[in-house]
Amino acid sequence: MSAVDMRVRIGALELRNPVMTASGTFGSGREYADFVALSRLGAVVTKGVSTEPWAGNDSPRIAETPSGMLNSIGLQNPGVEAFCAEDLAWLAGRDVPVIVNVVGHTTEGYVAVAERLEREDAVSALELNISCPNVDEGGMAFGTSCDGAAQVVRAVRAVTTRPLIVKLSPNVTDIVEIARAVEAEGADAVSLINTLLGMAIDTRTFRPKLARGVGGLSGPAIRPVAVRMVWQVARAVGVPVIGMGGIMDAEDAAEFMLAGASAVAVGTANFVDPAATVHIIEGLERFCAERGIGRVAELTGAIRE
Amino acid sequence: MSRAAAFSPALERATVLANARVAEGVWLVALAAARTASSVEPGQFVHLRIAEGTDFILRRPFSVFRAGGGRIEILYQTLGRGTRALATVAPGVEMDLIGPLGSGWRIPEGAERALLVAGGLGVAPLGMLAERLARDGVAVTLAQGAPSAGRLLARELFEDVCRRTAYATDDGSEGACGFITMLTPELIAADRLDVIYTCGPEPMQRIVAAQAAEAGVACQVSLERLMACGVGACLSCVVSTVHGRKRACVDGPVFDAADIVWEPAADPEVRS
Repeated sequence: MSAVDMRVRIGALELRNPVMTASGTFGSGREYADFVALSRLGAVVTKGVSTEPWAGNDSPRIAETPSGMLNSIGLQNPGVEAFCAEDLAWLAGRDVPVIVNVVGHTTEGYVAVAERLEREDAVSALELNISCPNVDEGGMAFGTSCDGAAQVVRAVRAVTTRPLIVKLSPNVTDIVEIARAVEAEGADAVSLINTLLGMAIDTRTFRPKLARGVGGLSGPAIRPVAVRMVWQVARAVGVPVIGMGGIMDAEDAAEFMLAGASAVAVGTANFVDPAATVHIIEGLERFCAERGIGRVAELTGAIRE
Repeated sequence: MSRAAAFSPALERATVLANARVAEGVWLVALAAARTASSVEPGQFVHLRIAEGTDFILRRPFSVFRAGGGRIEILYQTLGRGTRALATVAPGVEMDLIGPLGSGWRIPEGAERALLVAGGLGVAPLGMLAERLARDGVAVTLAQGAPSAGRLLARELFEDVCRRTAYATDDGSEGACGFITMLTPELIAADRLDVIYTCGPEPMQRIVAAQAAEAGVACQVSLERLMACGVGACLSCVVSTVHGRKRACVDGPVFDAADIVWEPAADPEVRS
């Protein structure tokens, strides 16, 4: 095999390659262990974790849409104590960086999870989810205003020593100003985009296809929107950008890196091909080798304009 | 209770051997899929990719109706875009599937008599089960409901392995006229049943579950949900139970009926 250096850095975090999993699409990794050697991945980003167990939304929770899907899972999770005892304990021995996605209804909720995770050596970084469109309180409510985003990042920054990634919502007028606001409060990186708020209606029943009515759109349908936002944010902030939104193969991953992403996350593609992450890592290495690119990190921001 | 040790699921490249209409709106596809065929247990399912590309981005979960000799058979109804596209797939085409998946039917230790209750396409996960029970010496009764005689499915298989079959049709063209749940109380009372297995529309399963509870007979239900990952990660396919929300893909699709918290029926047409 070629000698492409696949390592990338996200602040203090060094990853063996730039491909991680998108929160909520990969469980805690364990669910995919029959298909993926987790130690191959750049990082596992876990499902969102809150202080107390959350039951999530009613069914149906998903709907297929053109080149994509809607979901309204609603951040169902067993709470941070059960997460640490079961998911994190299992992940700890897998030789893969673990990035825990943190959710809350209130600033205090985010802070409490971050404080609890501070005691866990297995946590490599936190991803602050201020962009989930599927909960009534918290989630996207924080991520759609500069003040809200800044406030929760400031509070969590004060209690965690781990690299802090902030996951941004595309459901805003100007994602750049949100990115700047969280950078100013000490975010070590930003990840984008979370899902786009969408809706589908069943014309036979006249009912929304999702029990909640609206949900988050993911998959290749949103990729051009995501690439555009990564490109805008990457040139406006000094911290690394983790790009995601409909990445299905290595060329899609390369596209995000050219737009300015230092790393990428794979979400909906895991449902199509449970080994998608590994195929993308292998493909990205080939992509570089074929073009005489020695370090994958050279792709970051290499767009010709 | 015996439930076979879970066999690790894997991606398998399958070849379509046959794909034909067996009743109005109902098709049977046979796939060469040696690994799944040799490891799937009754009540488990496969997660089938309908086509390459991004037009059908979600796989579709299908119960395995029968398995053996390197092939699996799936009974499906052409209800939405995905299943209509599946009906156009010709023999020789390769499709990829993930399987075997899910927790299937459990056969109680020492069971002697079992009742299977199917409504419409609810027979889909019951073919393998009927064969397994018969092989194990369990006396099996099948109660099947359908819109009309022509929509009663897999009669030969069930009449071959079951000690008794009972039918109900909406139009009275075969068996009793009306719902199958009109017949089940008598079938439950007539036998000292060890277990009842049911699959079909949720309102039907709910009635069967209540009848079983009334008679003090253990009952298992196979539930259908829209599903994305199929492996327990995405939490799309949750079922409400007395132990909280469980995943149909790994904790089910078969559940103990007594554990289910029945919800207003999801409109079956929502599946596409």
